Amino acid sequence: MRHVLRVLRHAAATGYQDYKTIYTWRTWLIGWYLRVVAQVVFFALIGELLGSRARTHELLVGAAVLLATVTSFIAVASTAWERWAGTLPLLVASPSSAVVVFAGRSVTFIGDGVVTSLGSFLAAAAIFDLPLPWPRILLVAPLTLLVAVSSYMLAIFLGGLVLRAMSTRNVVSNLATGTIMAIGGVVVPVGYYPQPVQWLANILPLTHGLEAIRDLLAGEAAAEILPNVGLEAAVGLGWLGLALLTFNHLAESGRRDGSIEFAS
Amino acid sequence: MPLVTVPLFTVTFLAVVRHAGRDDLTAYAVMAPVLIALWQLSLLDSGEIIEADRWQGVLEVVIAAPANVSTVVLGRVFAVTAVAFLAFIEVWFVARALFGVTIEFHHPGLFLLTLAASGLAMSGTAVIMAALFVLARSARTFQNSLSYPFYVLGGVLVPVSFLPDWLEPLSSVVFLSWSADLLRDSLDPAPVSGAAVRLGMVLALGTGGFVIGRLLLRRILNRVRADGTVGYA
Repeated sequence: MRHVLRVLRHAAATGYQDYKTIYTWRTWLIGWYLRVVAQVVFFALIGELLGSRARTHELLVGAAVLLATVTSFIAVASTAWERWAGTLPLLVASPSSAVVVFAGRSVTFIGDGVVTSLGSFLAAAAIFDLPLPWPRILLVAPLTLLVAVSSYMLAIFLGGLVLRAMSTRNVVSNLATGTIMAIGGVVVPVGYYPQPVQWLANILPLTHGLEAIRDLLAGEAAAEILPNVGLEAAVGLGWLGLALLTFNHLAESGRRDGSIEFAS
Repeated sequence: MPLVTVPLFTVTFLAVVRHAGRDDLTAYAVMAPVLIALWQLSLLDSGEIIEADRWQGVLEVVIAAPANVSTVVLGRVFAVTAVAFLAFIEVWFVARALFGVTIEFHHPGLFLLTLAASGLAMSGTAVIMAALFVLARSARTFQNSLSYPFYVLGGVLVPVSFLPDWLEPLSSVVFLSWSADLLRDSLDPAPVSGAAVRLGMVLALGTGGFVIGRLLLRRILNRVRADGTVGYA
């Protein structure tokens, strides 16, 4: 266990250094933060178009929590960067498990996802007068973290898949987040869609966590909120299990056909 | 890639207006994914023209050639922009297959003219991006930042009249705001007022974008030539 934690820590430190090459504080604030606030405003404005302040607030919360998922999903692409950098053969040859390395490598995006989501939520809440019930509002942070982590688990699983087809990394990531945006309860209740679509939504990250956050802000009792918290955690663990079962096989498969050093 | 996400945007926007029982907003929901695809595809391509040329080590040759770089960039962006119009076919199919919605063109001539003008304006505007991407530390990061702020200012889904008054001067210089209103109006049975002037504004803003982009590109390329960083990838 200590060995696993050490590998995770070093992988996370490597990922953080990578992250620093993408953003400085200034570019994060002026570029990324401005963009994500605009994204939440874009969705909240739909409620204004519909003529319903209640819908504005629902869409605002949905769009803000979606950002935790979207940001965590950068892990799909960042997993593939390792192959691009030509370091995948070394990782596969090392005595550590590849899935442990990759699970730690992009963990920075979980933190980024939580900060992005909460930061845009608070800014948009101020713009659209969303009531922030005290002290319940404090619990939005851990619930957003839960959504970011469960999304990250699916991202790691998908990252293993795109290691075999690197050019699909952004397509896979955007398709997954786009699907979650469309059917995960962000813009309309999951129940709006036909039953098979609801089944899919229920095994995707965000769906249950978002419902828990909405219930929390609506003043629902813990008995109403906690089942969704449990379901969100279960969804995350399910995707983690799938990643553990498949990732090493996918990462190492390039050894068999001699393509492990190919960057595409 | 933007063409891959068009069906998902279409489902999202159509679901939200139809769930609210606002079938009168269907034109808003179907035109937004087309404009998003147009913006993303042009932006993505314009960002990667310079990046890709730098990676492949051909930017020096492109600069040294007698042809004007900004004209070459404009032509390359326009080719990709034309592909973005496939998004409309996707939207039409998704709306019909999943929601049973038939898109009716009450002013088909205006619709086609607006699409063409928007494509030209997008290509002109993209030259500004191509110039700025030369200086950006990461073109992809820059590209990511230029999406939703422009969807809001451009009234891509929600008209700019819903924005605060102080933002209106800013949105009026974003060609998307004129394109989006015109495209929605062209699907509406009501007569369209001032169509020629509004089309002219789309083209004028696109031309303005190209002129600014051309000046910027010349200046920035002179700068990277002077400090010997043309080939830095």
